[in-house]
Amino acid sequence: MKIAVCIKRVPDMDVRFKIAPIGNAVDEAGLKFDINDFDSWAVEAALQIKDKDSATEVVIVSLGSDSVQETIRKALAMGADRGVELKVARIPFDGLAIAHALAAELKGGGFDLILFGKQSADSSNGAVGAMVGELLGLPVVTAISKLELAGATGSAKREIEGGQEFVEFPLPAVLTIDQGLNTARYPALKGIMAAKKKPLDVRPAQLGEQSVSVTKMELPPERPAGRIIGEGASAVPELVGLLQTEAKVL
Amino acid sequence: MTVGHGIFILIVVLSLSFFSYNAQRLVRYMMSIGQPENRTDHPLTRIKNLFIIGLAQKKILRDAVAGPLHASVFWGFVVLTIGTAEIIVQGLFPGFTYAAILPVPLYEFYILSQELFAVLVLAAVAVLLYRRIVVKPKRLQGDKVHSGDAILILSMIGALMVSLITLGAFGFALHPDSSTIFQPVSLALSHVFGGLSAGTLEAGRETSWWFHALLILVFLNYLPYSKHLHVLTSLPNTYLANTSGPGVKGAMSYMDLEAEGAEQFGASDVTQLGWKSLLDSYSCTECGRCTAVCPANITGKLLSPRKIMINTRQRLMELAPLATGDFGEFEHHTLVAGEGGDAGDASASAALGNTLLDNYITEEELWACTSCRACVEECPVSIDQLDIINELRRDLVLMESRFPPEIQPAFESLEKNGSPWAFDPGDRAKWAEGMDIPTMAEMVERGERPEVLFWVGCMGSFDDRAKKIAVAFARVLQAAKVKFAILGQEEKCNGDPARRMGNEYLYQMLARDNIETLDRYGVETIVTNCPHCFHQIGNEYPQLGGNYEVIHHSTYIEKLMDENRLPLNGEGKALTVAYHDSCYLGRYNGIYEAPRETMKRALPMMTLVEPPRNRSKGLCCGAGGGRMWMEETVGKRINVERTEELLATGADVLAVACPFCMTMIGDGVKAQGSSVPVLDISEVIAQQLGNQS
Ligand code: SF4
Ligand code: SF4
Repeated sequence: MKIAVCIKRVPDMDVRFKIAPIGNAVDEAGLKFDINDFDSWAVEAALQIKDKDSATEVVIVSLGSDSVQETIRKALAMGADRGVELKVARIPFDGLAIAHALAAELKGGGFDLILFGKQSADSSNGAVGAMVGELLGLPVVTAISKLELAGATGSAKREIEGGQEFVEFPLPAVLTIDQGLNTARYPALKGIMAAKKKPLDVRPAQLGEQSVSVTKMELPPERPAGRIIGEGASAVPELVGLLQTEAKVL
Repeated sequence: MTVGHGIFILIVVLSLSFFSYNAQRLVRYMMSIGQPENRTDHPLTRIKNLFIIGLAQKKILRDAVAGPLHASVFWGFVVLTIGTAEIIVQGLFPGFTYAAILPVPLYEFYILSQELFAVLVLAAVAVLLYRRIVVKPKRLQGDKVHSGDAILILSMIGALMVSLITLGAFGFALHPDSSTIFQPVSLALSHVFGGLSAGTLEAGRETSWWFHALLILVFLNYLPYSKHLHVLTSLPNTYLANTSGPGVKGAMSYMDLEAEGAEQFGASDVTQLGWKSLLDSYSCTECGRCTAVCPANITGKLLSPRKIMINTRQRLMELAPLATGDFGEFEHHTLVAGEGGDAGDASASAALGNTLLDNYITEEELWACTSCRACVEECPVSIDQLDIINELRRDLVLMESRFPPEIQPAFESLEKNGSPWAFDPGDRAKWAEGMDIPTMAEMVERGERPEVLFWVGCMGSFDDRAKKIAVAFARVLQAAKVKFAILGQEEKCNGDPARRMGNEYLYQMLARDNIETLDRYGVETIVTNCPHCFHQIGNEYPQLGGNYEVIHHSTYIEKLMDENRLPLNGEGKALTVAYHDSCYLGRYNGIYEAPRETMKRALPMMTLVEPPRNRSKGLCCGAGGGRMWMEETVGKRINVERTEELLATGADVLAVACPFCMTMIGDGVKAQGSSVPVLDISEVIAQQLGNQS
């Protein structure tokens, strides 16, 4: 079995963001970056298949500047076999441009499974995985939270509004991973050491044409701080008044 | 030469040979299986330990009952060994006696000492046997300890003493003119034998001599098969130990992560432990003092530090003969192990496939440890149980990525945010807003240097309750007009949680970042209210090249008081305060008095009360060793156990000197439905600050 996992390096969400002076991007100064959570579950899914069948090869593909090497190494430290950096100066916003580059790399790679996280924490488009499936002419199942393989077929579970959906698909296929499938393993030092010696190829990304761009970015409006009106029953009339006039919920 | 004489010589040669062979095996196993370690540095400190802990039995005497009893037997043994040597030499060279080589007063002193100590030992052994068989104290139970072994050894010692006295008594009865008042007990007993015939007396004397001499040899040869091997190993073990220095008490061992060809990090088996841990395992007497003070064990967790030692020994004995090619028939009887093996496979291949981790010691036991160091403090023969626990944890995390799932977010956040909780590092100095506290960067920009750097720690930066401690201590510093700065956003977790949880890689990453920051500003003196930051930066950063003077706020406040820099109002209510000792301040760094002293000086009318377990015997709050980030689902909660003790003192206020203790004891008080306030010592003092002139 041969599995490709496409991962993205994204800013850590615990830090508050600032908008860069150009106005259509995030100011990256002081931000910490790490593998996108959904993508780490995709890596874990591939590694769990490898745990059962050691003949499995897991290849990590990431598009970005050279800093993505750190993120690829992390996936290698978790246990993946080799990595590919598709080098660009800046990750474009247009998912189709990215999908073209990834599809060019994956095509002819002989992969039985191509895994993505269902969306990235920073741009939240959720588009690239499905686009790559389309470009490669492979079946696509998005946002799966359970995965089983039996020979040349796979089955998956998807959480949908108010229920669950069970799907079956032939291999090779493209899958995007939702929360709940697994928790990503913590790379042991042994794995980190081993990862330093694993192959990581760097190739220029063959981006597709970019037709969509971000024109402006804004922070969500600041929420006014909570107010304490008073304590006990005496505060009730004022509270009701405010709920009617200010909050207009009554 | 008589036949008896010839037989005795033969017996002595055979038994000494057999003993030497076994002793040699034990040393060989330890040195060939264990990893190299240097324990010959600082001989003077080691000799001091040997005298104080070994000969003066300092740690043994921590137990008010068993302590004096054991010390009597030990001192008796030391004195009586001189007599034993005389008896064995007598057997080899009939007619030999110290009387021939010692001046009369010295010889008389010698025989008196033998007699008195024989009686003392006999009495102590009788009480110890009574304890073992009738009283059965709790700490002597559990962990499949070898109680039969203890009874056998005690009986042998008793029999040795009895035969020593009868030997003298029969001799005096036979030759009344040789009697001396320097052997009063033998003399008294000889009168009882007075009516017996000369033949009977001679037979009695002969029998006593042979019984005594042979029993000594049997005893000697039994030791390598018994947990009482400590009779031989405890003194060397005390000399070679680092638990009371030399070196920094409680510092985890340095680990070179970049070492050429390093493939194993931490230990999963005895082959990866240092040889000293293996000597520790030989020396464990299974006395259970460690387990009796272990907060995890006390509250019903699986962990027992005594079991850690017994298991290490069992695994060593299972593996070593196979690994070193000792296949002789009599070599199958494991030395110092006895029954109670938890794995103990019969077949060689199965035994080779076992490991100390998992086959003997489970993950659950290891993660229950709070690294409180109570076990190490208590062990009378200076064993370091915690060292083994730490090495096994390192293997679990660094090699196998096996740990309670709830600590993974802490690891990830430490890596990303430099704190074990997912807070924005940019918010680190938020607690100080409006207090006019400069950061190091600001101060350097102004071209100034602080007197001290206040290391706030992650608790002080992000935990709502602990932020108030940071504020209180900063107010104390300001009141004393100390020129200080904080690092603010540039501070990161000191790394202690990562290191104690076995994640040495993450620890070194954090520590090296901090050292880089501190050195960049040329920081020399650091004060901190967190004992974990205090211990880590002061005692463990030197391993990575970070050398600073680090002072805990308790000692620092004491110093400010000494220098009369702290304006105190001298008022305050007549409060009763119970102080809870932090492990990393107390047992790790020996600071017991400064927190108490500073509160007394700030609050002259205060009464300080102590829970039964205090100072070096203090019970952990339950947060150390990374337990702060782990769930506690088995048994009673450690913080509740401790809080109950503190509340039982009837104190109006519980005082702590560690933000982690604050969380634990604070939660404990809430769980008890009590409203007794829990205050940090700096808060107690900040309340007493007078008018700043
Ligand atoms: S360090 Fe404390 S918790 Fe750990 S084994 Fe020793 S006594 Fe128990
Ligand atoms: S480790 Fe020390 S304290 Fe614990 S049982 Fe052994 S000898 Fe006693």
